[in-house]
Amino acid sequence: MSKGGVAPARWSAPTIVLHWLSAIVIFALVALGFLMTRFFDSATRFDLYQLHKSFGVLALALLAARLLFRFAGAAPAPLGPPWERAAAAIVHGALYALTLLAILLGWLAASSAPLPVPTIVFGLFAWPSLMGADPATFAFASLAHRLTGYGLAMLAGLHAAAALKHALVDREGVFSRMAFGRGPGAPRR
Amino acid sequence: MPARCEFLAAAFVAALAILSDTAHARMSWAIDPARTHIRFAVDATGWPRTVGEFRRFEGRISVDFERPEASRVSFKVEAASVDVGSSSFSDYLKSIAFLNADKYPTIDFVSTSVEKLSDHTVRVSGDLTLLGVTKPLVVDVDVLRDGAAPSRLDFSAHTHVDRLEFGMNSGFPIISREVDLDIASGAREQ
Repeated sequence: MSKGGVAPARWSAPTIVLHWLSAIVIFALVALGFLMTRFFDSATRFDLYQLHKSFGVLALALLAARLLFRFAGAAPAPLGPPWERAAAAIVHGALYALTLLAILLGWLAASSAPLPVPTIVFGLFAWPSLMGADPATFAFASLAHRLTGYGLAMLAGLHAAAALKHALVDREGVFSRMAFGRGPGAPRR
Repeated sequence: MPARCEFLAAAFVAALAILSDTAHARMSWAIDPARTHIRFAVDATGWPRTVGEFRRFEGRISVDFERPEASRVSFKVEAASVDVGSSSFSDYLKSIAFLNADKYPTIDFVSTSVEKLSDHTVRVSGDLTLLGVTKPLVVDVDVLRDGAAPSRLDFSAHTHVDRLEFGMNSGFPIISREVDLDIASGAREQ
């Protein structure tokens, strides 16, 4: 809904850029998280953990920027019947919440790990720790981090499936609202 | 989280003492860096075995073939030269969590006695100093001498060190207290 009374035809440019950047970063985080805990030798794993943690910090920054633009700017009108709008609102809110939760739990897990390894974000600067080594906290945080990560991946899949449904089944031109370029924006009925 | 540890060791090499048919009494041997590798390996729970190597070191070997017990070995290994195949990982190992290389730049081994066990094996006892802590270390060293190249000696040794003895506690017990050392060296008569 737009605050100004008239809903724009499409999302603002910063919102679009941030959305797709977040999608890439979150996908990379989930993929890295899955792979780095199962494969690779010790040295490669170490580097991948650092990369995963760096991407986590980036995802946190992206999330903050997205929330800023999302609630500061106007949003295109939601599509579909009321139940779909309600479902979309819930899923969108849950995507934000789970992203934040997954990042914070990962941060907590990294901080409380039995061997706390400093997080050097993209090799540039040290990221602070929330606490010292604590086995109980680590056990909880690492499990919860994994579960929220998987939950986020499933929710993102649902979100993508719903967008595809609007685009391919309902033919509402939903992608042009969140795509780069100068698409028509308005639903093409 | 990772694990690893390391340190090293250096140690050992030794002495050769063997080969008493040699005419020289006491000979000095220079370590050939290209033929010398000081490697270590550490296990951890939920993490693959970490293997690494110390790239910079100095070693001196003095061999008395007639009196093997008079032979001496010393190694000085540069802690900051640790290399596990990832620069960020190696940097972490150099940090205060493990090698504390700024404060303890070298890991030293100095022999205190050398005992001939067989024609190809010597037992080198000495002191290993790591993180400023000195503890005894006994290493059995295989000595290889190629008859065609009497001015060359090759050694190899395997041993392990309990890192907790040196106050290197990080990550224990997730990261094993035992650190395997694998030292191979070649020396040339000076």
